[in-house]
Amino acid sequence: MLKIEHLTKVYENGVVALRDISFEVPDGQFVVVIGLSGSGKSTLLRCINRLIDPTDGRIIWNGIDITAANDEELRLIRRRIGMIFQQFNLVKRSKVITNVLAGRLGYTNPMWSLVNRFSTHDRQMALAKLERVGIREKAFTRADELSGGQQQRVGIARALMQDPELMLADEPVASLDPATSHSVMKYLELLNKEDGITILCSLHFLSLARAYADRIIALKDGLLEFDGDPADIDEQRFKDIYGEDAVRVEIA
Amino acid sequence: MNNNQFPTSRGALRKLLLVLVVVAGVLLYAYGWRVTDISLDETQDQTRQTSVTRALRELLSPNVFDQDRDSEFADAYFAIGCPDDGEPIPQPERAEGEPYIEISPDCGERDDAITVTGHHFHTNADAFVRWIPPNGQSRPMVRTDVDSGGYFQTTISVPSLRGGGDEFHTIEVEGSWPVGLPHLSKTTETVIEKMVETIFLALMATTLAVPIAFVLSFFAARNLMRQVRMPAGDVLIAFILLPIGWALGDLLVGPIGALGVDWGKDLVLGIVGPAIAMVAYGGIARVASTAGLQEGTVGHRARKIGLNVLLVAVIIFTLGAVGGIGIWIGDKLEDTLLSDLGNFVNTLGTLVDLSISVAAALAGALLVSSVGTSLVRGGLRYFEGPANHIVGAVLGVASGTLLMAMMAVIANQAAWFGLLPLLVVVILAMQDLGLIYNRFTGAGHRDEANTHATLRLTLQVAVAVVAFYFAYRFLDSGRLIVDGRLPSALKTEIGPFSVKTYTFRAMLMGAVLGGIGGWLLGIHRNFPLGMTVYNTTRTILNALRSIEPLIMGIVFVIWVGIGPFAGVLALMLHSIAALGKLYSEQVENIDPGPIEAVQATGATRLQMIAYGVVPQIVPPYIAFTMYRWDINVRMSTIIGFVGGGGIGFLLQQQINLLRYREAGVAVLAIAIVVSVLDFASASIRERMI
Repeated sequence: MLKIEHLTKVYENGVVALRDISFEVPDGQFVVVIGLSGSGKSTLLRCINRLIDPTDGRIIWNGIDITAANDEELRLIRRRIGMIFQQFNLVKRSKVITNVLAGRLGYTNPMWSLVNRFSTHDRQMALAKLERVGIREKAFTRADELSGGQQQRVGIARALMQDPELMLADEPVASLDPATSHSVMKYLELLNKEDGITILCSLHFLSLARAYADRIIALKDGLLEFDGDPADIDEQRFKDIYGEDAVRVEIA
Repeated sequence: MNNNQFPTSRGALRKLLLVLVVVAGVLLYAYGWRVTDISLDETQDQTRQTSVTRALRELLSPNVFDQDRDSEFADAYFAIGCPDDGEPIPQPERAEGEPYIEISPDCGERDDAITVTGHHFHTNADAFVRWIPPNGQSRPMVRTDVDSGGYFQTTISVPSLRGGGDEFHTIEVEGSWPVGLPHLSKTTETVIEKMVETIFLALMATTLAVPIAFVLSFFAARNLMRQVRMPAGDVLIAFILLPIGWALGDLLVGPIGALGVDWGKDLVLGIVGPAIAMVAYGGIARVASTAGLQEGTVGHRARKIGLNVLLVAVIIFTLGAVGGIGIWIGDKLEDTLLSDLGNFVNTLGTLVDLSISVAAALAGALLVSSVGTSLVRGGLRYFEGPANHIVGAVLGVASGTLLMAMMAVIANQAAWFGLLPLLVVVILAMQDLGLIYNRFTGAGHRDEANTHATLRLTLQVAVAVVAFYFAYRFLDSGRLIVDGRLPSALKTEIGPFSVKTYTFRAMLMGAVLGGIGGWLLGIHRNFPLGMTVYNTTRTILNALRSIEPLIMGIVFVIWVGIGPFAGVLALMLHSIAALGKLYSEQVENIDPGPIEAVQATGATRLQMIAYGVVPQIVPPYIAFTMYRWDINVRMSTIIGFVGGGGIGFLLQQQINLLRYREAGVAVLAIAIVVSVLDFASASIRERMI
């Protein structure tokens, strides 16, 4: 169970990204966060694993207050929360396997991992995760030689190395073409259904959100605009979220 | 109409301003012209023109090559004052096929002209005519060319010589011609030898600087350091524990390192000892890990601390043993063919030996302060409300005292270091005032754009001036800064202790300012530790970089004597500063995405650097290292001018001896090496980036 209570984030330049956001996510739910660019989606996701420190409010996960954790406690929390990114955030010059193994860093001895030593178990695991996302044969190529969709799958494999209970996906398909977008979303759906991983995913397109979400949360200017069933978003709600001039774009 | 005029009048004003700026610029330029003594008269001076032509001509004809020469001699006799009887002066015998000379006249007074004719000389040889008076002190007269028939004719005038008398003077002609092939001259050989020394000097300086600059560059990278924030209480406790840990490390771990060195000198013990230690550590770690303690519990933490302490001891011991083995190998290789390698290994071993106690103390300091902080951290959490501020004040007093004591120790080294305590007092006072202001007005640190910021800054500047004045008087800093003397040796008694009054007063100010700051800050607010480290590192790097290596060279020559080692040290120090800055800018330019991703997996900060940062910076680091080596070769060609070894030392000697042809060889060598390296490093950099 993830509980967000009165979460507020004000950046140092005075921009208010989140205003008093509260909601709860039960375990195993597939939640999609929608909203315009700059509505606070990324900030919300990053506050949950404290890549960004919130200004105010609390985030409680499985009874632990994430916002109050110190460095060491935060590390232990973070390693149970996987994250994938719009720009994939792979180290482009490193091999795919190295990128995937990086997901295991929270569990390895800091000294050994500095000299690039991982246990046989971790290596087997990395290959297994790559197998799962269907690019095992790319394990020893450089990350920047892969296509966008493949890179995002490496990102998913890296997050899976953490044995996550919660997966944060920050616009995972915004840099991909429609067909690849669906294949990446399918992997997320699989993780949700098969492994029971709770997923919090931000998306641009309502059509994609509707296809995969159990529940949709919409942000507008840092405020919670909508929280409910995907089917409940009608024309009026759509205009509320995206503005009067918005026209629906369907993604096949 | 009005609409049109307004811009025009503004345009006129702008034009006037432009004219004024141009006039001011020209005046400034004229002043510069005078200050730098630009003078056309000097360039037109006849004697100077002659000298510069000669010097340039010699510089431009470097004696790179040499050729062996054969020579032959022929003599004639001459009398100063013709004999009264008018008899001809008897001349040497002429042998068949040998060259001979004829002179006419064969007697005369000083300044008389003599025609010298030579026959049967080696064709096209150089003929050197010399005058040898009876005392045998030969003096060169003239040089002329022999024609293709072995004949030459030239005129000399009788030199003014004292004495003379009855004895004959000898006119000697040496015919000289090159034989065999041209070869490199002695000068060239020396220059090449020195050039090799120069290139290696630059290489040593660069390679020694790289690892240090590499580590420093992370501390000087804003994007990495900005994230490093810790609760103020943790920072203060870590700081207070540093000297305690240093002492403990020196006392307890230092001897282990020394033991390692001793064992290492006996090869077998040096290998077996650390091996047993490492195996033992591995065994203990394995046994301990079976205890199955829950992460985050006290037992788990205690195990981690215990293992870390053991690990530090094992590492220091092993390091010591490696140093000892180095010394052993060095001794064994000393008289063999590999003596260079032996000397190298031996020096490294000795370096380890010398630095092991510092390394042990440093490891102790870091370990104790990190362990202590993590132990206390849990407890600090329970101080809420007033207790938060009371504990903050106590820690603040202790840290402030410690900080100012350290500054006072530095100030006791050199008079102008006395500025450092003053600076720290000013910074502390400004920070305190900022906190006071925020407390009473309710302004936050984030209110940067409103009037609070301006008012706060004004007040801070005012307090800075007051604090500086007060600290200057209180610490009697005039003695240091104006008189250039060290702080007075007077002591103050505090109970059983006796401390220098200067140090005591500095500590007192630190206690007061630290106490105020600690009280206001409390122990839970975040302290920007990273930015403090960042600013300190950047300041030191910038200060070091602004001192030319030539000046550093002077200091190092005094320390380690004239020679390339002084040059290596000077260039190394400057390279650390320059590379530290270049590297850190590369770190600041990397893609933040991978860092974010690695952090999100629960990696530690070191792991984040190893997996998110290092892979991205390898190519630019290699490129900048090449670039720095290139710069160091240029610098090392002149570091010799202050005694730093390399080719510069040779060049300076030859210039001072006015041997411009030899100097020309050195200049030529520098030009070749620098342009070759320039080209090489440019093409390598192109490939890397």
